[in-house]
Amino acid sequence: MKELFKLFDRIIQRVNINLRELAFDATPYVNELIRLEHMLKFYAFYGITPNHPLSFEFQHSSLAGSYFLGKCRTTNSILYKSDIRGDELKKRGDMLRYQDFEIQMTKDEMIDIEDSILIKTLVHNYSHDPETIEKFFIHSTVSTQYANIHGSPTDGCFVGPFATVDLTTQSDCVIGAYSYIQAGEISHLNIAPGTIWVRGGDAFNFLYRYPAEALRRYIHFEAGQAPQGVFMDFVESRKHEFQRIYDVVHIEPSVPVPPTASLDRYAVVRPKTRINENVLVAQRAYLENSWMGKGANAQENCYIINSRLEGFNVTAHGAKIIEADLGQNVFVGFNSFLQGKPDARLSIGPDSIVMPHTIIDIDQPLAIPAGRLVWGLVTDAASFETHSMSLAEFSKLERPTSKGDMCFEGKGAAFVQAFRDRIQHILEANGAFYDGEQNKGHAQKNQNISFNTIQPYPKGRLEGLYPTILIKP
Amino acid sequence: MKEFTIKELLVPLSEYATVPIGATVYDAILALEKTQEDFDHAKYRHRAVLVLDDKGQVVGKLSQLDVLDALEPETDESQEAGLLSRFGFSANLIWAVQREKRPDGSLSEAHLREAACLEVENFMKRPAEGEFVDQEAPLKQAIHQLIVGHHFSLLVTHEKRIVGILRLTDVFAAVFHMMKHTPPGNDEERP
Repeated sequence: MKELFKLFDRIIQRVNINLRELAFDATPYVNELIRLEHMLKFYAFYGITPNHPLSFEFQHSSLAGSYFLGKCRTTNSILYKSDIRGDELKKRGDMLRYQDFEIQMTKDEMIDIEDSILIKTLVHNYSHDPETIEKFFIHSTVSTQYANIHGSPTDGCFVGPFATVDLTTQSDCVIGAYSYIQAGEISHLNIAPGTIWVRGGDAFNFLYRYPAEALRRYIHFEAGQAPQGVFMDFVESRKHEFQRIYDVVHIEPSVPVPPTASLDRYAVVRPKTRINENVLVAQRAYLENSWMGKGANAQENCYIINSRLEGFNVTAHGAKIIEADLGQNVFVGFNSFLQGKPDARLSIGPDSIVMPHTIIDIDQPLAIPAGRLVWGLVTDAASFETHSMSLAEFSKLERPTSKGDMCFEGKGAAFVQAFRDRIQHILEANGAFYDGEQNKGHAQKNQNISFNTIQPYPKGRLEGLYPTILIKP
Repeated sequence: MKEFTIKELLVPLSEYATVPIGATVYDAILALEKTQEDFDHAKYRHRAVLVLDDKGQVVGKLSQLDVLDALEPETDESQEAGLLSRFGFSANLIWAVQREKRPDGSLSEAHLREAACLEVENFMKRPAEGEFVDQEAPLKQAIHQLIVGHHFSLLVTHEKRIVGILRLTDVFAAVFHMMKHTPPGNDEERP
């Protein structure tokens, strides 16, 4: 295992060099997160489908429990139970529009991970940086539990637990726990935990910061300790449910799945769950006693428990919905945590947008009216008023506005439209509108995936590392 | 057309407001006022105070902005303003947020008194490499340094000693004067 330890130290050193200007030392954070002895316990696996370009290159890497789809390359990296999902990468011949440019793809895009440690991280979507259209790179970076690197080329960064970087090129940044950043391009920033920042060029700028003490209950992450709080307790308490599906080679769906829907074999589905047409359930999703209406989806690391989603609902990566009833077209953003109780259910009216990284944690029933925008921390009716606005009202904003810990500047209409366009795109990409002939998406294309497993050296100097593996069509 | 030299335009060190290191912001303001009274023939008012060490060497410069900076101590509010600015928010929004959190934003006597007692070295700027110019250098070089460094003045040296200050306002006046004597147009048509 000597080589694996050497690789670990080398990666941390590279990250620290990149973050020296921020005086950030990743070492004490990472040491407690991963036990290299466990890298032997879990196999890595990759998917083959007729619908996605195929190319896997693994070199001098440890890949325990990680999943790969599409075109991916890992070099000198350690991936632990991470999902590298390349089913939205750009393909040769695609036309990329950026400002006044129309850029033709001359080859298929690839996810390129080098000198990085990714722990239970999701990598998805495609590079939105016009300067690196054919390479979605993650270099010299440490990413921690349940982080999402979504369409965000990354160089020299530390991404905290439950953080999301979305459609943003980032270099030499520290992203604090449970922060959500969608800002186009950032560099040399140390983002505090619980920062929700959505900036759309000159059109709008949205910022919300969780009060540190309030966030601490849900997630806190300090040097020398593993992440702690409600979020970690929640996922850890259901970890054993996933163990069974990884131990079995052939597994039959536990509920009926319509021919136009997709239930990944690495998802957990517990009794009395109903999956309707055009539903997409991704790997590592967890469904229990829930109704998934037509065109609804549950992406990676989503938990939907004792809930009803009426249809065309986007439940973005890592979102959790417990004891809740969602009308049609409700969007629940990345890593949101919506927790009703059996005697205090949460209901959300149709066409509402729950912003990424929103926490709704209630002890009394709460009914959110239709067409509402919700952000931040909601624990009761009073905090709901401070942390929400009707989408119609928000669309009228034209002057700098602050409400509680939220600041907004720019055109509210542009902000709302950007969200609506994105939701529409996600539903289309997921195949929610498939009519039997047209509008195929992930729900239809990801139905027939062959999974293959790969294993590391079991002993010796290279123990825990995988041999160089090239998998091509 | 007469071309001005740095030597002609500089304000000698002896005519400039100076304070020793360890002086307070209040001392600096008094020194500025006194210099203005002593040398009121200047068309433009002095805008900065030089800070000298115990050997009389210039170790820093206190500008008007630096004095105002003393009125904004490192409070939660100023940190908040800095943070919002880094996230790309405008001064309008930052002011609106601050006004909401502290409706009474006026300068109190206590506030002014507190700032006046602070020592100048906490706010002065130490001169950077591009802020020195030799008194024999061509004026064009000084103009270049003012533009590139966004400086309001340069420290003029002679044989490694600072002998004066070259102010942006004096350079601008000289250039303006020269420009007036070379009006635009076709040189051939001019008598």
